[in-house]
Amino acid sequence: MSARDSILARARGAVTRSVTPPESFEPAHRRADFASFAIQLAAAGGEGVGPIGAAELNTRVTELCRGLAPSPRVLASDAALLRLGTGPWSPIPSGADPHSLADVAVAILCGSLAVAENGAIGLDGREARPRALPVLCERLVLLVDVSALVPDMHAALARLPDGALAHHHFTFVAGPSKTADIEGELVLGAHGPRGLTVIGIEG
Amino acid sequence: MSAALDRRALELLPSGERLAAHDAAVWALRAKRDAAGRAEPDFERLREQARRIKAHSLDHLDVLLERFESRAQAAGARVHFAEDAADLQRIVLELLRAKGARRVVKSKSMLTEECGLNPHLERHGLEVVDTDLGERIVQLGDEPPSHIIMPAIHRTRGDIGALFERELGSAPGDTDPGRLTAAARRDLRARFLAADAAITGANFAVADTGTLVVVTNEGNADLGMSLAKLHIACLGIEKVIPGLGDLAVFLRLLARSATGQAISAYTSLVTGPRPGGELHVVLVDNGRTKLLADPRHRSALSCIRCGACLNTCPVFRRAGGHAYGWAVPGPIGAVLAPALTESDELRALPFASTLCGSCTAVCPVKIDLHDQLVAWRASDSPRSAGSRSLGRLASLVFASPLAYRLAGRAVRALWPLLRGAPPARAWLAARELPEHPGASFRARFRARGSQQ
Repeated sequence: MSARDSILARARGAVTRSVTPPESFEPAHRRADFASFAIQLAAAGGEGVGPIGAAELNTRVTELCRGLAPSPRVLASDAALLRLGTGPWSPIPSGADPHSLADVAVAILCGSLAVAENGAIGLDGREARPRALPVLCERLVLLVDVSALVPDMHAALARLPDGALAHHHFTFVAGPSKTADIEGELVLGAHGPRGLTVIGIEG
Repeated sequence: MSAALDRRALELLPSGERLAAHDAAVWALRAKRDAAGRAEPDFERLREQARRIKAHSLDHLDVLLERFESRAQAAGARVHFAEDAADLQRIVLELLRAKGARRVVKSKSMLTEECGLNPHLERHGLEVVDTDLGERIVQLGDEPPSHIIMPAIHRTRGDIGALFERELGSAPGDTDPGRLTAAARRDLRARFLAADAAITGANFAVADTGTLVVVTNEGNADLGMSLAKLHIACLGIEKVIPGLGDLAVFLRLLARSATGQAISAYTSLVTGPRPGGELHVVLVDNGRTKLLADPRHRSALSCIRCGACLNTCPVFRRAGGHAYGWAVPGPIGAVLAPALTESDELRALPFASTLCGSCTAVCPVKIDLHDQLVAWRASDSPRSAGSRSLGRLASLVFASPLAYRLAGRAVRALWPLLRGAPPARAWLAARELPEHPGASFRARFRARGSQQ
C-alpha cells in the first residue's frame, strides 16, 4: 500500500465522524472606514494617506516619490499607471525576470481589498507584475479604492475577487517587512520593503 | 523527570542576566498577546470557534485530506504523502535532485525541524539556507531553534553581534539590532536571488480550494517562493481545515496569540504553482494518525504553533527551549513529544511542569494542555520498579493516620541521612527546601493551642 493510502486508511480508522461543525462565526459589528484602517496600518508600521480624490492622486504620489532618494527606480503596474497618469515612474518591463528587479526602490501597485480590523491590503496575484516585486522593492506604495474596504477577515475572505485563488497567489500585506528576532526589538525591512504607504482613493 | 533530562536542563539552563533577558523577552510576548486579546471584542468567541472547527476537522481528517489533494492537484500542484521523517527526507531530496537544484532557501517550518530535513539535505551535498532571521542566527551558530516563533530568543544582541562579525563580516562590536538585521538582509538577498528551490512550511491548508496559507512577518517565504522556480511546501497532515470561512477565524487568532499583532505582515494564499513554476506539497504523518486515534490526546493536533503556551509557561521562561531536547518545546512540545516520538527520554517531559494551567488559559484553540500533561503522567510515566513500590508504600501510609504519624516521626529522625541519599540528592540538586522546624505540624499546632 502506498504511503498515501495507508495514511488515509489509518485516519479513516481513527475518526468517528461524530463531531459536528460549528455555526458560521458572527463577528462583532465594526466600522469599515479608511480612518480605522489607517490606525491599524500605523500599528503595523505602515502609513495610510487619504482618502483623497482621484484628481489629487498624481500630485500626491509624485511628492511621495520625490521625497525619496535621488532618481530612484520607481515602477508602477499597468493598473496603477491607469490611475496615476505620467510621472516619475515607469511601467514594469514586460516579461521582466524577477531577478532584474532587485534594485527597485519603489513599486506602486493596486490593492483589491483593505481590511479595517488589521490594516491589511489584499494583493491579487493576477495583477500583471512579477510576483516577487512587492517583496523585492525597498518601498511599497499601494493604491486602493475606499469602496474596497471591508470590516474584518471574515468579510475579506468571503469577498475575494472571483478567480483570485485559481492558479495564483493572493497575499494580504500588513505593513512593511519586519522582524523582532534580536532580543524582541522591532526592525523594519527584514527582507522586503522598509516602508509601506497605502493611499485610499475616493470617488 | 528522567535523570538525563534533568542533567541536560541544568546544563542548558540560562542563568544570571541571560535568564533575566530570556524571561523578559518571552513575557513581553505574553503581555502583547493579552493586550491584543482585550482589544478584540471577538477574541474569546474566536477561540471557542477555533476549537470547534479543529475538533470537527480532525474528526473528518481523511475526507479533508482527499479534498485538499484533489483541489490542489486540479490547480496544478503535485501532492505527496510521507509516512515519517525518513520518507519526507527522501521525497524532498528526490524532488530537488530531479530538478538539479543545488541551492535551497528555506522559510520557517517546525515540521522540517521535527523531521531533521536540513541535516539530511546537507549530508547529500545541498546548500540549505534558513532565511527567517532567527533561524539564520541559530543556523550560523550551529544550534537548534529554542522557540517556535522566536528561534533565537535565547541569544543576546552581544552573542549575535559576535556571531555576525565572524560569519557575515559585520562591524566588530556592533550589537545594534537594526544594523545586524541589515547585515543578514544583504547576505540573504544574494542567496534568495541565487536559489534554485524554495522550501516552506504552511500554517494552514484549505481543503475546499486546495490552497496553502503561508504566514510570515519578514516576507522571507514570499521572496523564496516567488523567485525560485521550484517550491516545495512541507506540512503535517493536521494542518488541513475545511474552507476559507474557517481560515478567517484562525488568521484572526494566530498573530494576536503569537506576538499581539492584529495580523502578520504577509499572509499568502498559494493555490497551484505560479506560471512557469512547480509546486510540490508534502503531507507528513510522522505519528499524527496514531495521535488521531487517541481520543484523550487527539486535540493536541489542533495546535496552530503560535507559541503562546511557551511564552506564559513558568518552566519554559526559566529553562529555555533547548532544555526540552525536541523541536517543539514548552507545554505543547511536552504533550506532543510523547505521542510523536519513540524517545523514552522525551516521555519524561510531561513531568517538567508545574501544572499551573496558564498554558490552557492562553491557547487560541483551547487545547486542555495541563490536563493532557496530567494524563500523560498517569498513562505513560516511565516508572521504575523502585518508584512503583515507593508509590504503593505511600498509599498505605496515607491511608492510615497511625502509619502516617509513625512515618513522619521516622522521616524526621532520619532526615539528615535521607537528604544525602541518591534519590533525594538528585531531586535537591535544582531545588531548595526550607529549614525543618524540628517538630511535626500537629505537635506545633498543639503547642500553639496550649499557649493561647
